Amino acid sequence: MQCKKYDIPENLYYDTNDFWIKVNGDEAVVGMTDYGQSNTGDILYLELSSGGETFKQGDRFGSIESGKWVGNLTAPLSGLVIDNNNEVERNPRKVNADAYGEGWMYRLKLSNPDEVKSLMAAKEYSEWVAQQINSEEEIG
Amino acid sequence: MDLYNLGAVSWWESQCYYHAMAHLGREGLIVCYPSSPYVCLGLHDDLDQEINREYCDIRGIPIFRRETGGGVVYLDNQQVFFQLVLKRDNPQLPLRRHRYYEKFLHPAISVYRHFGVPAELKIPADIVAEGRKCSGNACGDVGDCVAYVGNILLGFDFSVMSNILRVPYPQFREHLRQAMQSNMTTLKDWVNYSITYDDLASRLIDGFTTQWGELNPQIPDQELIDKSSEIYQRSISNEWLEMPGRRYYDRKIKIAEGVMLMERKINLNSSAVVLVRDGKVEDINVFGKKEIENKLRGYQGINKAEYAEDFSC
Repeated sequence: MQCKKYDIPENLYYDTNDFWIKVNGDEAVVGMTDYGQSNTGDILYLELSSGGETFKQGDRFGSIESGKWVGNLTAPLSGLVIDNNNEVERNPRKVNADAYGEGWMYRLKLSNPDEVKSLMAAKEYSEWVAQQINSEEEIG
Repeated sequence: MDLYNLGAVSWWESQCYYHAMAHLGREGLIVCYPSSPYVCLGLHDDLDQEINREYCDIRGIPIFRRETGGGVVYLDNQQVFFQLVLKRDNPQLPLRRHRYYEKFLHPAISVYRHFGVPAELKIPADIVAEGRKCSGNACGDVGDCVAYVGNILLGFDFSVMSNILRVPYPQFREHLRQAMQSNMTTLKDWVNYSITYDDLASRLIDGFTTQWGELNPQIPDQELIDKSSEIYQRSISNEWLEMPGRRYYDRKIKIAEGVMLMERKINLNSSAVVLVRDGKVEDINVFGKKEIENKLRGYQGINKAEYAEDFSC
């Protein structure tokens, strides 16, 4: 599925912080969406939390920097970090280049799988992205 | 929107008030300048890699780590700060944060132009005049807000700045100073009379008033003062200052948007200082064994392409 020029794979969940979440039982892989990486611009630095750390949904679980902007990465679901992608820490532009592939960020063990219900499916996220694009156009 | 036209403040207040406002979720504009010099790291800068701590200790120059992006800056009373804090859900704030720089920097560009400086925006976040940087700017999500910070340079001490940064050897430091002097400019280069803080501040405030409507003058209240003090205490802790940051194998220092000075090690005995502009090598100077230097100089054209190959800034 696409919204404007942005890829939105149908087999993933999404949140309003522009994370994609691939759920497999009580585990999930997390990364930034195509729309999210495009908004962020060239990613110059990524600081990911280490394996073994636990987070609640909405907690800060990393930090990101693009040209003169710094922002937080916010956990889309509660859980334990099983693994992080060291390769994107070394080369953050992989998130720009391959958001749904080599640009993945975390593998999580979910502590509350019911939270998945709070995420958006691809169609819903696509509508949300369209709304955001319209708002941006209104700001000018 | 609230306006805090604070004039001279202590070095740490010149950073902590806007952080405090952002953490408290309060929108507003601060205009001020620090009464004494200090060094300010970006959130992801690595202290040990970036800073010549011995020099800072001897000169009594304090170090602060801000929560916004960008690199190390030397700040003193020759710079007027403008700091805008907006809630993240402010409808005027684009999701593409860098798009807001154009609007945020417009009042400062107008001030420069008023004084005859042909200032213009260089995307994403520099102000340049005839290709030379004349303002340092940064932004970051802080608490539930976004903070945009910038400054107008009345003057700049290139010598102190080049001493504050950690460099691999003395010749690199001299090239750093020269690169900054060649690629930066300040109001003193364009105006041969004294410009007061009040004049700059009032013009900046006029510019932001045009964007945001009438601003409400305020003085820091107890909540803001208390939060600022709390942030100051954190900011001077070793844990915060020595937080690990981005590291490079070879030393790289960003001079201005698109301009980088970097070291390239050749072997154990020699290395090169390389000035890169818009991804292309502009100058190379080799330091080390004379014979290696001479040999490399003969092949400089080839090496320039090699050095440029994997680099963009």
